[in-house]
Amino acid sequence: MAGLELLSDQGYRVDGRRAGELRKIQARMGVFAQADGSAYIEQGNTKALAVVYGPHEMRGSRSRALPDRALVNCQYSMATFSTGERKRRPHGDRKACEMGLQLRQTFEAAILTQLYPRSQIDIYVQVLQADGGNYAACVNAATLAVLDAGIPMRDFVCACSAGFVDGTALADLSHVEEAAGGPQLALALLPASGQLALLEMDARLHEDHLQQVLEAASQAARDVHALLDRVVRQHVREAALLLGD
Amino acid sequence: MLQKREKVLHLRTFQGRTVRIVREHYLRPSVPCNSPLCPQPARCRNDGKLLSSDVTHYVIPDWKVVQDYLEILEFPELKGIIFMQTACQAVQHQRGRRQYNKLRNLLKDARHDCILFANEFQQYSYLPRERGESMEKWQTRSIYNAAVWYYHHCQDRMPIVMVTEDEEAIQQYGSETEGVFVISFKGILNVNKHRAQIEAFVRLQGASSKDSDLISDILVHGMKARNRSIHGDVVVVELLPKNEWKGRTAALCENENDDKTPGESPSEPMPTGRVVGILQKNWRDYVVTFPSKEEVQSQGKNAQKILVTPWDYRIPKIRISTQQAEALQDFRVVVRIDSWESTSVYPNGHFVRVLGRIRDLEGEISTILVENSISVAPFSEAQMCEMPVNTPENPWKVNPEEERERIDLRKTHLVFSIDPKGCEDVDDALSVRTLSNGNLELGVHIADVTHFVMTNSYTDIEARTRATTYYLADRRYDMLPSILSADLCSLLGGVDRYAVSVLWELDKKSFEIKKVWYGRTIIQSAYKLYYEAAQDLLDGNFSVIGDIPEFKEMDEKSRQAKQDELVWAIGKLTDIARHVRAKRDSCGALELEGVEVRVQLDDKKNIHDLIPKQPLEVHETVAECMILANHWVAKKIWENFPHQALLRQHPPPHQEFFSELRECAKAKGFSMDTRSNKTLADSLDRANDPRDPLVNRILRSMATQAMSNALYFSTGSCAEDEFHHYGLALDKYTHFTSPIRRYSDIVVHRLLMAAISKDNKTEIKENLFSSKDLEELCRHINNRNRAAQHAQKQSTELFQCMYFKDKDPETEDRCIADGVIYSIRTNGVLVFIPRFGIKGAAYLKNKDGLVISCYQDGCSEWKPGSLQRFQNKITSTTAGGESITFSLFDHVTVRISVQASRCHADTIRLEIISNKPYKISETELSQQNSLLMKNELVKEVTRSVEEAQLAQEEAKVKIIQEEYQEYCQTKGTSLYTLLEEIRDLALLDLSSDYGM
Repeated sequence: MAGLELLSDQGYRVDGRRAGELRKIQARMGVFAQADGSAYIEQGNTKALAVVYGPHEMRGSRSRALPDRALVNCQYSMATFSTGERKRRPHGDRKACEMGLQLRQTFEAAILTQLYPRSQIDIYVQVLQADGGNYAACVNAATLAVLDAGIPMRDFVCACSAGFVDGTALADLSHVEEAAGGPQLALALLPASGQLALLEMDARLHEDHLQQVLEAASQAARDVHALLDRVVRQHVREAALLLGD
Repeated sequence: MLQKREKVLHLRTFQGRTVRIVREHYLRPSVPCNSPLCPQPARCRNDGKLLSSDVTHYVIPDWKVVQDYLEILEFPELKGIIFMQTACQAVQHQRGRRQYNKLRNLLKDARHDCILFANEFQQYSYLPRERGESMEKWQTRSIYNAAVWYYHHCQDRMPIVMVTEDEEAIQQYGSETEGVFVISFKGILNVNKHRAQIEAFVRLQGASSKDSDLISDILVHGMKARNRSIHGDVVVVELLPKNEWKGRTAALCENENDDKTPGESPSEPMPTGRVVGILQKNWRDYVVTFPSKEEVQSQGKNAQKILVTPWDYRIPKIRISTQQAEALQDFRVVVRIDSWESTSVYPNGHFVRVLGRIRDLEGEISTILVENSISVAPFSEAQMCEMPVNTPENPWKVNPEEERERIDLRKTHLVFSIDPKGCEDVDDALSVRTLSNGNLELGVHIADVTHFVMTNSYTDIEARTRATTYYLADRRYDMLPSILSADLCSLLGGVDRYAVSVLWELDKKSFEIKKVWYGRTIIQSAYKLYYEAAQDLLDGNFSVIGDIPEFKEMDEKSRQAKQDELVWAIGKLTDIARHVRAKRDSCGALELEGVEVRVQLDDKKNIHDLIPKQPLEVHETVAECMILANHWVAKKIWENFPHQALLRQHPPPHQEFFSELRECAKAKGFSMDTRSNKTLADSLDRANDPRDPLVNRILRSMATQAMSNALYFSTGSCAEDEFHHYGLALDKYTHFTSPIRRYSDIVVHRLLMAAISKDNKTEIKENLFSSKDLEELCRHINNRNRAAQHAQKQSTELFQCMYFKDKDPETEDRCIADGVIYSIRTNGVLVFIPRFGIKGAAYLKNKDGLVISCYQDGCSEWKPGSLQRFQNKITSTTAGGESITFSLFDHVTVRISVQASRCHADTIRLEIISNKPYKISETELSQQNSLLMKNELVKEVTRSVEEAQLAQEEAKVKIIQEEYQEYCQTKGTSLYTLLEEIRDLALLDLSSDYGM
């Protein structure tokens, strides 16, 4: 069997999308009543759940409290059934830690933390089904959850991944495309200002192509923003209706 | 807007676990259709190349067609091809990167009028695979569905042809949508041997559903229409318009060497076509001859490129480039064809190896082998290592473990074998005894070859490739190593051997079969008899006792007892055989004397005729027992494995093939009723001219020729009512009794063993072939059997020619013989010479246009005149007004000569020298009678004739022999020993006949 053809001559990807097209995104806010904020997102077959508590007083050791801003605490986990093979993933494994750290960096850049000194904001994200672009799905879910919690942010944080195949940048990689082993770039964008909250890439890519891939990823992030914005507005409209003026 | 679907795949990981994978699949309402007929080009966003608008229809190849015949689709002449994405993916996944890249380049190439339609990403043409649907079915369904969508998309303005190989798809979709045709159209090119330059025929494999009125073969007239295809290729033909149809020629012509066209019709136009594509090349190794020196010079200019002439008339000359042309002039050489440019008249090839000198026996024999694709290298070391050891120091013994599992018949049964004299590979033995309840028990014991040959062992694979033992006129090539075929599997007298036995319990009076038992046994054959001795014992003539080695060491008393026991057994066996046969007859079956026997007989009749043979009743007895065993085994394996048993069928012949037979019989005043096998046999029995026994023989051989050959098949591949064996009139038949010589029997043995384990509820150890594999195997075995028959026939012809070559036809007495006319052509007659069993053409009109005329005393002369052909006679009228008529079954005197040919096989030439029968000497007359009568006296006479003949031949051979030694032409074997071997083989052949 010949290797999988990620991008056909006619410009189709394995699942039938074209290079710049996103997977189908569906999202809901306020899925849990107990938490301060929560959201659920589906990007294609990648499904993630985010829950936000806070801002509240420091729990555990008070010494970690920051004098001038709130501490953003992120925890990332994957369900045992999230991948093709069932696998127990203990808390605090390296991958989860790294992902937690990245999420934390992303959200420290977006949340107006200085409004809440000496307090703490907890963001818990769980991936229910992993089919590529886990980081992006988590960021997008967490953004919605933070918004749901009513924590002030500079802007939406919209994330998307991008890859590079045969001289073309592909937006929003699926698991098949990720597994093929090409370069993959993850980007979190503050769409209004165009600032990058996080940019991460862990494979070799020629500098000449970087701009192109970056462009594709930010465009995709802006597309995500449009979608998330619609979800938020929809949610607020519904909530307003429930409250009855 | 995109639509999201999900595809569920089950993949196997490297550890062997199955993982369920769900992949997304996005569909869009419009994908580029790239057709100029597209009603909404803006919506389809057609960019890049479009299909051309001047085509009459679009072609959509099925996935299998794209996979297998991509080379054809690459032709720039083919326009308007739509490759479906489904088909492309099938190529990618199953044919590898190279093939796929070829397809990609094809699609990219702007000059090629072909496009890809992404049917799987299109909302309306995508079909999800259903649960339990096979990949292949789904692919075909998707492609068809997309084709229909495409047709409607183009507003039904362009018909679409989907090309598939899948018969079912044609059935299912063929007439479902108007404007979308599903077809497959191809056949095998068959070049007429005699008129190689002009005529070829294509036999259709599967006609398209819309052309089903076309049943007959298609004539391809001329080299140009043949379009570079070679005999045996699978080709696509285009029918020409009716006014260009041509008829076939009925006249005899120069390189005629065999008549193979029954019921030649006089030139009425038949479907004529031309080859438009070759789907599958059937190039093999060809034996060729370099042109002689003079010819080389005439070819002149380009000395490096030489046209060589293949041995087979049907193959065109091949151009090869070599420097060695002069050195190779006297040799037969193997070449391979490499290519055939469209601008060239001849194909290009290259030299492979030298076989041997022209006219040298070894060279000619290997030519025959190569031409029939028979490869008989000596058995390899790896194969020999698998063989059990049996040397005087280390004799082979019965394994005690095996002894426990097998039934021991060594003490209880009197087992003996009857074979031709000097037979080495005894694969069957018989037994008969009275049981305690008074009933009889008949046993057929077959060598247990499968015990020694494990499935898929090296020996097994080699045997499967060979499929049969090849018997040539002077030698044989064994299917199994000789340690098995002549020793451990051969049921020799006085030694313990493993066997597979079939035992029947018969009623003592009615010989009704009460019980049947199959199983593995150990036997010890008490006597290894030969036919003549057995017949003598049966007739009560005990003078042969001294010839039987087993009796020699016994003292008088025990010998008498043993002798009585043996004679009783043979007698009982004959009784049973008679009853079994009578019962077959009474069941509406018939006595055709074994049609297949006849075929084989015909093939080598000449050998038989050199030494007339005796049909003995013992032959029939043994044959009947074998048929019975084959029949019962066939029933058994079919019952147990209804879908994967190997059986043998003999399809009923087409009535139209009998027309020539009926004509001939009418000429002699007999009527032939060919409606069923029984009526045919009856009328053949009736058609007996008391004055000329040959008439009956010729009619019988014509009947045989009209029938198709019996074939092996897998029961899974055809319906139960097609299992019938026409010749033997049995509903199920197989080959079980000669596992040493035939691979089919080995397969049947394994099936039988599996059936027995199934009965015993034990685990089936044999891994059996699936129906599909078995079908493939049957095709291979049938194919090899045909090759074996051809090789045998060709080698016999070779020996005939060698026999006559050194004789001067003008002076030699033996070159003049009596012949019978059995067929009439426009410029000659076909003659059968019973003395040598030769069939050939004799011309009544020679090349200069002169016709034959005969004087009163019978001498003939060539004179100017004309020929007139009637239904069953031909008249030659000279300018002087004398006329002479030859009718069917006329006896004429012919002169036999050899027409030497440098590049091809030599052929026998016949020349009518008198219209009177040749004066037959008295001894020869009695020979012919001996064929009919079976009394003691005639037997004695023929034996003396045989000896006299032998002495004569010996004398002749000696001269040849001397010459041979003088010129050192033969290596090792002298012709005398060869002829001696032929004689042995002639007797041996009978043994191979009854197995059928």
